[in-house]
Amino acid sequence: MWPGRAMSSPNRTAAAPPASGSQQDEIIVPRNFKLLEELDQAEKGQDPTISLGLQNQEDIFLVAWNGSIFGPPGTTFEGRLFELKIECGDRYPNEPPFVRFVSRVNLPCVDQSTGVVNSSKLHILSHWDRHFTMERVLNELRREMMTQGSRRLPQPPEGSRF
Amino acid sequence: MSATLPRRIVKETQRLISEPVPGISATPYEDNFRYFNVVIEGPESSPYQQGIFKLELFLPADYPMAPPKVRFLTKMYHPNIDKLGRICLDILKDKWSPALQIRTVLLSIQALLSCPNPEDPLNNQVAELWKADEDRAIANAKEWTRLYATK
Repeated sequence: MWPGRAMSSPNRTAAAPPASGSQQDEIIVPRNFKLLEELDQAEKGQDPTISLGLQNQEDIFLVAWNGSIFGPPGTTFEGRLFELKIECGDRYPNEPPFVRFVSRVNLPCVDQSTGVVNSSKLHILSHWDRHFTMERVLNELRREMMTQGSRRLPQPPEGSRF
Repeated sequence: MSATLPRRIVKETQRLISEPVPGISATPYEDNFRYFNVVIEGPESSPYQQGIFKLELFLPADYPMAPPKVRFLTKMYHPNIDKLGRICLDILKDKWSPALQIRTVLLSIQALLSCPNPEDPLNNQVAELWKADEDRAIANAKEWTRLYATK
């Protein structure tokens, strides 16, 4: 189309599932700018039940994040702060982030020896869409704590870690 | 790729390539014509002289009604650029006008390297030193240019 055009972008969208119909002209927000938007949103801190931030303020590629979830009231998670580590690789957001609890927690979707969130057991990760956000993942995990099956689960001692 | 890339963006891109701005290159990625790989040379007689600075630029859906999004990928020692390469520049925010272009934005960023403005800082630590001891701040900027922005 024009001479001297650049190589593929660092996160190639070509590898994404083929666009269909009306999605064909969809504007793709590149990985880094999407993560900067997520950071802006997180810095506004409008949702008091979760928090999100970079692990290192100089992480120019915005890979490693800290998340936290405040245990929902009326559940065995109540009154506790659950810390998580989130990693957004090169292929984010075409692929979901890697999510791991640091604070020990008893939840069906969390591996009890490593704290890793099993992406096949959390709907938002198994049905990932590039428009989803880390904030949404944290919210979904918080909702998991409120389901009938989880809200009364006995929890490990407060402050214990994976 | 999008068959409906707005004519305005096509025109701007063609002109960036056919009449490049001296010391600035902006090339769209082949899989996303709204996303540009940008290189800016440090202006002469600035602390950034001889530096080759990498940036990335994205034209959001509402461009040109909204400004381009742009940031440095090269580490910068500059009072108006933060540790994530984000740039404090009025035309990227409230002073944006659709009459401006990718070309004018990149020229303004290059000019910002010649004229740091520590009175409107994004990086407070750098701005404080710039005000207290300009010689040392300039020496730091030169050192970072040598360390992170040489060919």
